[in-house]
Formats: sequence, structure tokens, C-alpha cells
Amino acid sequence: MASRLDDHQIALRVLRELHPGQTIALGTGLPSTLCRVAAPDVGLRFLAESGVLGYQGSSQGATGSPGVFGSDGSPVSLLPGSSLNSLDETAAMLRGGHVDFAVVQPAQVDSQGSFTHWTSAATPGLHAPGTSLDLAAGARRLVAMMHHTAADGSSNIVGECRGVIDGAACVDLIVTDLAVISVSPDFGNSKEGLVLTEVAPGWRADDLVALTDAPLKVSPNLTEMRFDSISGPVPEKVPEKVYTSGPLAVGDIPDGATIMIDGFAGPGGMAHYLLVSLRDQGAKDLTIISNTAGIARVINFGTPPGRQAIDHSILIDNNQVRKAIASYPVSPSVSRPSAFELAYRKGDVELELVPQGTLAERLRAGGAGIGGFYTPTGVGTLIAEGKETRTIEGKEYLLERGLRADYCLIRGYKADTLGNVVYRGTSRNFNSVMAPAAAVTIVEVDEIVAPGDLDPELIVTPGIYVSRVVRRPPEFSAYE
Amino acid sequence: MPADKQRLEREVVAMRVAKELPDGGYVNLGIGIPTLVSGFVAEDSVVFYHSESGVLNCGPLADEGEEDIDLINAGGQFLQPVPGMVFFSTVDGFAMIRGGHVDVTVLGAHQVSAKGDLANWMLPERGVGNIGGAMDLAAGAKQVIVAMEHTDRHNHSKIVEECDYPITGKACVSLIVTDLAVMQPTEQGLVLKEVAPGWTPEEVQELTGARLILAPDLKEYEL
Repeated sequence: MASRLDDHQIALRVLRELHPGQTIALGTGLPSTLCRVAAPDVGLRFLAESGVLGYQGSSQGATGSPGVFGSDGSPVSLLPGSSLNSLDETAAMLRGGHVDFAVVQPAQVDSQGSFTHWTSAATPGLHAPGTSLDLAAGARRLVAMMHHTAADGSSNIVGECRGVIDGAACVDLIVTDLAVISVSPDFGNSKEGLVLTEVAPGWRADDLVALTDAPLKVSPNLTEMRFDSISGPVPEKVPEKVYTSGPLAVGDIPDGATIMIDGFAGPGGMAHYLLVSLRDQGAKDLTIISNTAGIARVINFGTPPGRQAIDHSILIDNNQVRKAIASYPVSPSVSRPSAFELAYRKGDVELELVPQGTLAERLRAGGAGIGGFYTPTGVGTLIAEGKETRTIEGKEYLLERGLRADYCLIRGYKADTLGNVVYRGTSRNFNSVMAPAAAVTIVEVDEIVAPGDLDPELIVTPGIYVSRVVRRPPEFSAYE
Repeated sequence: MPADKQRLEREVVAMRVAKELPDGGYVNLGIGIPTLVSGFVAEDSVVFYHSESGVLNCGPLADEGEEDIDLINAGGQFLQPVPGMVFFSTVDGFAMIRGGHVDVTVLGAHQVSAKGDLANWMLPERGVGNIGGAMDLAAGAKQVIVAMEHTDRHNHSKIVEECDYPITGKACVSLIVTDLAVMQPTEQGLVLKEVAPGWTPEEVQELTGARLILAPDLKEYEL
């Protein structure tokens, strides 16, 4: 019989599934070989549950970057544009749908695409799935990277897993030392069958059917596995995040979009250039999610004589806003109403009022893939009307839901070309919370720098959350 | 007629509240009289200020000409940069509040009930209001102190048996300091603990919309 593939070859085959610019979360075991096998310049962004995004595996015996370790605890090296994250941030990236691929090493995969992680199988009676549950639940596409058979020769691809299930019906592709098997691509989420699409060189479909316990269909387009680099004949490029102007960056925002915009109280922290670009672009029927619905113009602190602060009011005055979701929507002073309040009194705009901390947590939940949460804030008030309550350890809480948007306009201080962002002073407040919670996050900064120019320890918003970066023209003012 | 008698200045109310702030405590001050409290903290006492704008250890306001739009408090006023200042996101700022890490918040109010219900986010006649951080502070701060005038501009008591304005939080206020008195909401009712100089408990009761229980150690406003 032909020989089986070694781990390096399996890794090469998995890498062929990946494209430059994608983020790939690596579980422990075999998947951690991927970051050593992939060339650092192919533009893959590896995510390790240890809390590092965008790293390169170290070759055998190398020390890597001081204090930085991959999923399996071995030293890895930071690359320009890497960021370091806490465990909850890494989990948020996964659950929030920000990770393109996850690669895990199951002990077994069954014909439904459910799996038992190798660490669970290795500790019978002691369920130890590690982060494989989050990897399975969160990534857009899940690859099982494994050996086709166990040491005793029994198949690891089975009709039904014998051990605990660490992910139910979630594996999309199985890559082993003998074959590539896709999990029912034609049946949507039902994952009813396994289809053999590739075999290792020298192996026949019949061999694989014989070595696989689960029923295996053979693809009519069966091919031999290949291990060449992911770049192919025409090298692929990492998608460009830097946009040359505000109008280009907001150009595709359609009528009816939901848009997050920061702006805590004063003019700080607000993406003025993007706001003006959106006004000029003219999209209508917008729902804005923001702390205020535009009060910088009425509170007026710091505004030069004869000028007005740029805030949400410019969209309201241009009849672009249908609804605001906000915590502090109107002027602190009844006698100086904001544009939003005037429109609200006329019935031109709707308002959903949310306590500030609840708004922040709803955005966090939305960006982190959390459906809802229980908070004590607002119990017994108008805010609680119609909401589920629950008593936890003697205290009453309200169920609040996660909140997401189509677009988000962020005001950062500096960003690199990979979309990593740092903020300045109190202008961070809602910006870094909103960035993960939108489908398209657009960042306006004073300065765009090269990857590596921002300290990875200090990056607040990792580029995984950012789609577009625009430099605010130096002459652009917060006032008009 | 008590309505014509001299009441305490806002600064004196702030001075009384300042006595309640624990040395080394983390404190969040609302807008209005609460903002003035920081000016009266004893010189040998250290208080760390938290603001919902995303800053801890904030200090005095910026001087004119030194304003920086990236350095504001929750009221949108410009802050001076001070050593030890730390910036964070709104999620972190409110985790500090709801997680019980803020020792005291001092808030203004439209109404407070005898049981400590707080109403401070909406005047019904306006039809719209700002919640901001008030509901989170009411629910999460270890201690909620209200600093306000005893009556509104129509001389109606802001202290009531039951709030008729929309409330911010139930039974959350631990101390009320006004320009006439210091009171403590309890399950039994509102306990009058201190009265302003020159005022009798009866005169304070006359201007108060809830029945007052006289504290056994009732005394004059203590500064």
C-alpha cells in the first residue's frame, strides 16, 4: 500500500483551503502545525486561543517572541500588525463570526459532522474540550484536521461518535493523512453525508471506503490531493482596507441601513469626516445607534465663535434619519432643543431609549455573538416593560438582547493598513465597543501607519473587526 | 412661613455630601450640585473619580485655551490631563459601575421617594428624556447619594411618598442631602437625620411630601 501523508503534508493540504486576508483560529494538536508551515508573507492571520492574532509559528527549537505562545503552548513570533488579546476577546472574535476558518483536531468525526475533540477523548470521564466548543460554534467554516485511523487501526470517521460531542453537526471539511472528505455540501445544515473528494497519492477510493466506518459517497469528480502553495499561478493579494477618501468609504451605504456612530457628549470621538461624507452621499431612512442623537451642537463646549460642531444633527437636518437608538438622545437643556428633538416632536423620527451601560453591553454582545444577557439596570422602570425578568441569587435582572448594525463609523487616532486601531483619551468610549458589532466597520483616523508601527500590546481594536480605514484630511475640522 | 426662610447654598449641600465620600474610594459624580462635591473633599483625603465618558482618576476641568476634545467628562466638559489617568471603553466603564466597583455615586434628582426610589431622567411634560448612565449607576453603585434642592421651582416637594415621575431605579437611594435636610430612606420610611441651621423638624416636614421619622440623634446639619 502507498504511504500515508505526514503531518506537514496534511498541513499543506489544509492551507490550500485558505485565502490571503482570512483569519484562521487554530485548535491544539495538529492544527498548530499550520502556523509553522504557512509562509509569513501569504497574508493569513492566525488566531490562537492563547490570545494572539496574526502570528507565525517558530521552527523547531526557536524561541519566538518573548512571552508569546501559540495554542499548544509552543513559542510563536509576532508579525508586523499582530495584536494581543485577552481570552474573552478571543472568544468574542470566534462567537461574533469574525473568524473565517477554525481548524480542530477531532479524535472522531461522525457522518453528521459532529465531533469529539482529541483532548476530550484523551481524558475519559473528565470532559476536557478546551476551546474546541467555541471554535466549533463560532467560525464560519470548520475544518477537521486529523489522522484517518487510530493507533489500533480503527476508523476515526464513524457513523456516530462514541464519546462526548464537542461540536454538533458543525464540521464542513475533513482533511486526513489519506483523504479529503466534505461534509454534505449539498444538504445545507443537515450534514447528512460524507463525500470523498480527494485521496492521497497512490490510494484508491475503494481503500478509503474500506478504512472508513461512516458511509462514504465517492465524488464523481474525485481527484488526488495536492500540496502546492495556496498562491496558485496568480498570487492572491490581501484585500486592501485603506480607502483614499471618506466619500469612497461610505459610498455603498444603502437607504434603510442601520449605522453605529459614536460621539459621547462633545465633539470628541466622532467621525466627522465620515459623517459629512455620509451627508453628502445622501442615504435615507437610516437607523442610527449612538450614545446621543447629536448634542455636541447644542452643548457647544469649545466651539469657536460663529461655527457649529459637526454631529448627528447634520444627518437629521438632511432628513436622512428615521430612527435613533440612544441613551442620551436630547439636549440637557429644555430651552436649547437639538435637531433630533425638534424632529421627534414633529413625529419625523422614532426613538428607542436604552440606558448607557445597557447600550454598551448590547453592542458588546452583538459583536461577540452573545444573544442576550441579564442586567440589573432598569428593573422596575419603564425600560423593563415587556422584557423578561429573572431572579438570580435573590436579585432581579432584565433580559437585554445583543445589537448589531450594517455599518459603523469609528473615530480612531491611528490605524495601520491591516485595520488595527488605537484611540486617544476619552474618544475611545463607544468606538471600540461598536467596531466589532457591525458588518462593515469604517474607521477614520488622523494617521495611517505601516503594520508593526503600533505596539501589539496597545492595540485596542484588532483589524479583524475593521473593513475600511480612511485618513481624515489634516485640515478637516470638527466644526463647520 | 418656612418657604421664605433662608436655605443652604448649593455649595454647602456639596460640602455636606463631600463628608460622605470614603477616603480612597471610587466615586462617580452626576451633573448639577454633584459636580461641585469634588471641590470640598478634605485635603488629607484621596478620592478617585470615575466618569462614564471612559476615564478614571480624572481631576479638575481644563483651563481656558487648554481644551482637548479627546479629554472630557460625562457632562462633556473638558478635563485637565493628570498623572494616573486611565482611559477605557464604555463597556469597561459600565462594568465598573454594575460590577460594584464604584463605591459612591452622587446624583441629582427630580423626585426621591421615602423608600429610596429615584426619578431623575425624565420630566413627563417634555415627552422625552435622557437616561445616560443614571439607571446603571442607580442599579450598580454601592451607595447612591442624592444631592438636590428640597423643592422644585414651584415650591413642590421633590421628596415624595411615591414617585409620580418615571423612575430611574427602585429603592436605590441610601442618603438624600438637600438645602434643608439630610434624610435616609429606610423600609420603615424616611428618617430625618439632620436639619439646616435655623430650621425646625416641623418646618422641614411642612415642605416635605413624605412623612418624616425623626432620628433619635437628630441634629443640625454637620459640616
